[in-house]
Amino acid sequence: MPEFPSEAWFEAVRAVYNGDDRYRGGGAGACHCRAAAKIGDAAYLIVFDGAECAETRRIGADELADVDFYLEMPPERWQAMIDDIAANGGASLRFTLNTLDLETDGGIARSVHGDQYREDLFFRYNQTFQYFFDASARIADGSRLESAGG
Amino acid sequence: MSDAVTAGETLDLGWMERQGEWGTRARPGKQGLTLADIQIGSYGETPDFSDNMTGRPRGAAARPRSYRVGGYSVRTKSEIWLENASFLYEEALQRQWSSATDVPWHTIRPLPDDIEQAECQLATFLTEVEFVAGDVPARWISQTTPDYFEPRNCLLAQVMDESRHMDVFRKRALANGGGLMSATGGTAGVVGSIDLARDFTEMSSRLHISGEGAVLTIFRMGELMAYNEAEKAIYRLCAQDEARHVAFGVMHMRYMAETAPERREEIECYLDEAERQILAGSQNPAGNRTISSEALAILLGGGKAHHDEGFRKLIAIRKRQLQEYVKRVRSAGFGERFENGRSNLKGMLEATAA
Amino acid sequence: MSTGAKPPDPTVPDPTTVADPAEPPAPTFDWMGKSRQWGVRVKPGRHGLRLGDLNVGIYGEVPEHWPDQTRNPRGAIPKRGVPPLGYAIRDKVALWAEGAADLYEEAIQRRWAPATDIPWHTVQPLPEPLERAICQVCTELCQYANCEIETISSWQHQMAYGYHEVKQYLATATFDAARQFEAFRKRALVGGGGLGLEGPGEVNRMILESRGGWTEAVTYLFLLRGTFTLTLLRHLEPAAQNEAEAALYRHALEDKARHLTYALEHLRYAMAHQPDLPLVMQQLLLIGHAIFARELKDNVLREALAIVFAGGLEDAADTGLARYRRMMGDFMRRYLRTCAWLGIELDPEQMPPRMTRYLA
Repeated sequence: MPEFPSEAWFEAVRAVYNGDDRYRGGGAGACHCRAAAKIGDAAYLIVFDGAECAETRRIGADELADVDFYLEMPPERWQAMIDDIAANGGASLRFTLNTLDLETDGGIARSVHGDQYREDLFFRYNQTFQYFFDASARIADGSRLESAGG
Repeated sequence: MSDAVTAGETLDLGWMERQGEWGTRARPGKQGLTLADIQIGSYGETPDFSDNMTGRPRGAAARPRSYRVGGYSVRTKSEIWLENASFLYEEALQRQWSSATDVPWHTIRPLPDDIEQAECQLATFLTEVEFVAGDVPARWISQTTPDYFEPRNCLLAQVMDESRHMDVFRKRALANGGGLMSATGGTAGVVGSIDLARDFTEMSSRLHISGEGAVLTIFRMGELMAYNEAEKAIYRLCAQDEARHVAFGVMHMRYMAETAPERREEIECYLDEAERQILAGSQNPAGNRTISSEALAILLGGGKAHHDEGFRKLIAIRKRQLQEYVKRVRSAGFGERFENGRSNLKGMLEATAA
Repeated sequence: MSTGAKPPDPTVPDPTTVADPAEPPAPTFDWMGKSRQWGVRVKPGRHGLRLGDLNVGIYGEVPEHWPDQTRNPRGAIPKRGVPPLGYAIRDKVALWAEGAADLYEEAIQRRWAPATDIPWHTVQPLPEPLERAICQVCTELCQYANCEIETISSWQHQMAYGYHEVKQYLATATFDAARQFEAFRKRALVGGGGLGLEGPGEVNRMILESRGGWTEAVTYLFLLRGTFTLTLLRHLEPAAQNEAEAALYRHALEDKARHLTYALEHLRYAMAHQPDLPLVMQQLLLIGHAIFARELKDNVLREALAIVFAGGLEDAADTGLARYRRMMGDFMRRYLRTCAWLGIELDPEQMPPRMTRYLA
């Protein structure tokens, strides 16, 4: 199983996400968005193009200016979220992306450009991003999708 | 014109010479055949002013003797247009959900009575106000020429979304040993309300930018304070829909700012009015000293005994609401009001938070 | 996605930055403990938690008259002194249909997206007369959908909150119509053709100008035009030239059948509770038939359908028109049966020959 965070980890999550049509249901259909995850000094691009997650790769800090929004947390907070997802098959109540955003001063969803219209894509596609990170619970064994809502 | 329908009739076929532009072959792309894919030739041209009063589809050939049944009051493109309407409509279709089957209702468990009461009060409020955004767009849809069908279809999707919101909160109120509680009169027939606007942009600034922008924050907050997976899903899915409606408002206002500068001052007045309502009006459940804000404080604090703690969180969220509002208005092209002293948001917040 | 928004000026203070209040205001909690019925626990069933499942206790009491002109949810404690919103339709008899809640959920479960649920790649070039005919039919169906959108949405906001099931069902009906407006346009523009000639518009005018109440609009929009459209779609499906058209007509047919179900339930309910209504309906339909028949005189749709049914121009005048006559016969029989089921006595002798000739 690839280590978090790494390009291989994001690629593995992308493969799980793209391989299960249930991630397109329940209010999480087509998504068009360029986002990133910033974990310490490392940043990873996540591109959704309609029904699929089209690309994930490590990017430089300068490329954050091009994404609609990026999610930034201290590495230990990221790790806690990933561990919670792995332990529960999906984020538990305290570790969903929106909850982490609201409980963090200044939020975790940020942007370089400061354009709220583009930052709002975090809300518009929230279920898709939740599904994406929830899919990390299935990297190791490709196990079942836990719940429709969560 | 032939009226024969008996055997042996010959066909006139004159109509084949009177059709719209011919030779259009839209190609489905990776996302299927989207509205963007059929914006080809004259079919992609949207007139700045529509003289289509017969309800014909844009690009169809007109019959000179058709009745002028439309009676459309929205016939000027800048009044309703936004550049990404097709995109938002397709997104709405793709991201529909069902409150009956996409919410894990089985995860709801009995809650302490004060928490359940607060949930039910908030759900009552949301059931009450969500369909203002169904009633009002519906009225405007019927008054908009089909030449601007892209934004009109977005509004139709919104009516559908709001219908689902109205029902999902009623379901939440009745699913866990509670019931509906007190209506708040949060939307009413008073001057300056969303319902009574007689101009589409005026309505949109109140509904999409200030009203739904504030409710979007509430939905995000609802996800934060959810007590089970069902509530998490409800609020998260509603927030997605609401963000789409807010996007409509921001992009329409931006189009208006760019194409109808003569209406700028008028729109500033709508924003003045909207800002006065944000905290003082009862449409915003996080506003000042409303039934809903008490319910929110109970939910955020974790019980009636922790109301004050919850209230402090509510204040933080109120600030987030306003920060997002400010950034959206900036994105729409009206950010100068926060720099030139036009907006009194800071003064209002100071006055109302104390 | 670039939006070209102006970034904020960093030298200007954040207008939302203010000091926290020293103390939270004292709560009143005076809303707590107040409910007209507490202790309701509706459980999800095999099909999830549906709108109709909520109609228990007082929450299921749908009054004959709903005087409240605010958005007070049915079963909640109303707030006194709220300025009215002007809901004009406040009587159950004017809009109710028992199955509205179920139809609402069914519409959501059976949703489809024209962009991705229609196999558009199966549309291949067709002979020009056939393509022109299909495009003409799609243009008219698109205009029917437009009429539906404008009619329903002009009534929706006038319906009182006490009958929320109907308001919610109608939200799905206009969304269906939006999808059909979009889908038929897409078909016209995907096969190398284009949109055709707009329809004559007489029936559209009649529907849009029905101002006597929602029941009258339902009569014209769904009972008369809707039955016709349903029959049209049924006959178009076997004449589809490709999988895309077949799927399109099938999906549209399902939507239309739901609309008719609402309409028939409502009309039946309305007629059962208003003794004079069958006579009023008779009068309305007398006028409606004359207008409908005048529109049948127009040859454009008839000829286009004949070509589509024949699969081309060659046999359109014989087998195509024969299929058209069969379709019209099906329409007339179904229409008369439906009216009889509703209790509206229609004498075919009194109907325009342009309609009744297909009964032979």
